[in-house]
Amino acid sequence: MEGKVGSGIRAFLHETGELSAFAARFFRNAFHRRFEWRELIRQCTLNGALSLPLVAVTAFIMGLVLTVQSRPTLARFGAESMLPAMVAISVVREIAPVITALICAGKIGSSMGAELGSMKVTEQIDAMEVSGTNPFRYLAVTRIWSTTLMLPVLVVLADGIAIWASWVGVNIKDTVTWDLFYRQVFESLEYSDFIPAFIKSYFFGFAIGLVGCYKGFTTSKGTEGVGRSAHSAVVVASLLIFILDLIAVQVTDLMGLN
Amino acid sequence: MDAAASPSIDRKVERVISIRDLHVSFGSNHVLRGFNLDLYRGENVMVLGKSGSGKSVLIKCVVRLQEPDSGHIDVLGQDVLALDQEELDRLRVKIGFLFQSSALYDSMTVQENLEFPLRRHWITTTPEETDALVDEVLTAVGLAHTRKLYPSELSGGMRRRIGLARTLILKPEIVLYDEPTTGLDPITGKEIVELILELQRQYNTSSIIISHDLHVAKLAANRIALLHEGRNYMEGSYHLFRDSEDEVVKRFFVFM
Repeated sequence: MEGKVGSGIRAFLHETGELSAFAARFFRNAFHRRFEWRELIRQCTLNGALSLPLVAVTAFIMGLVLTVQSRPTLARFGAESMLPAMVAISVVREIAPVITALICAGKIGSSMGAELGSMKVTEQIDAMEVSGTNPFRYLAVTRIWSTTLMLPVLVVLADGIAIWASWVGVNIKDTVTWDLFYRQVFESLEYSDFIPAFIKSYFFGFAIGLVGCYKGFTTSKGTEGVGRSAHSAVVVASLLIFILDLIAVQVTDLMGLN
Repeated sequence: MDAAASPSIDRKVERVISIRDLHVSFGSNHVLRGFNLDLYRGENVMVLGKSGSGKSVLIKCVVRLQEPDSGHIDVLGQDVLALDQEELDRLRVKIGFLFQSSALYDSMTVQENLEFPLRRHWITTTPEETDALVDEVLTAVGLAHTRKLYPSELSGGMRRRIGLARTLILKPEIVLYDEPTTGLDPITGKEIVELILELQRQYNTSSIIISHDLHVAKLAANRIALLHEGRNYMEGSYHLFRDSEDEVVKRFFVFM
């Protein structure tokens, strides 16, 4: 039992060290003069535009459900008028960044782990390397940059869609104009709600790209390994998102922004 | 054509690869234990050895896909193990590598696979030039009609040919073949070997061919080096190997 725990801890520390080394390698190559702009744009399109439908549907349902379910509780205290403010603050500060990041960890992280893992086991990454192309710069750096840059964009869109869905939810029982709802939302929101959430979504995006690429690049043991990489990319990225969120809450608290 | 029967390579010609005292190990498994090999310009050397003997590891060391424990590798006058990344990338352009699996980029069409190395190294400056080069290599491997196909739509032999075309599009001086006929039927395998010889004449390349297929040895190799237990066991022409009474050598010919 002790041996198992010991080897588990060693494996965890080893994985953490390898992931940190992979991140350091990213920063060494992130601003290289031979930057792969074309591939970056392709990845941003793939990871951003193609994730949008899923993020949009989830954000709509999230906003609607949150509104409909919060309403009876607020009504009990006669605070129904606080509904737009409550939904907006919850969505902007926490729900949209975390849910969007988790969706992207599932969609983008797993596809990166599987795609790069399959390239690794079929020697495509080696083929790229022997043809004089740096596969890390071409495949990993562009993908990590793309998720880092696109996640905040997706989060802002998710914010907008969830708030609109909340207005739809309010209008199921009441009639509130969009103008009034919109004004209430923006009167309740402050920069201190928006900025920390926006900043932390860059970190979430970085974590998704980093873990997806790391798992893909370290795939071994054939097709079974590809499946394992895709799966563990989602698990590790999701865990990292929660850890980063916890750190972000502590930092904003220390800065007096909560 | 029987390469072994062709005139032997003049050893006064330039040595393009020199491997000395190469050691590679994976944990306690010491795969190469001081292997030596020379390749001269225009020559085809075949490294023969049973599966798992370290043949593929040897050529991966030449392009530094695998870092050896110790030894010296000189390619086209450059000490491969001492090069920095930029220098290594420049040298790699002069070395073609045909993978056993062909390693075609499966998200790209045949044309995109062939254009990829050209774009990366600014070999061509206009789309017309790129098209002409793609046409040239596709015609050379007899697959001009496959431009728009994806690797998954090609047969094993066709994939090997496209892999060869992608290797040759950068006009390398040296080509390293990793098991070029493994997994192919004997007829397709023979066609690939004939294509290798034809392209070698056309593009004037020198090659190291890794294989355990004695048909490849007979058809393509000017010289054979037998890798056994991590060391050079025997070196010479196909005929020398065929007529050998050595037990280790004879074992390769049992199933011929």
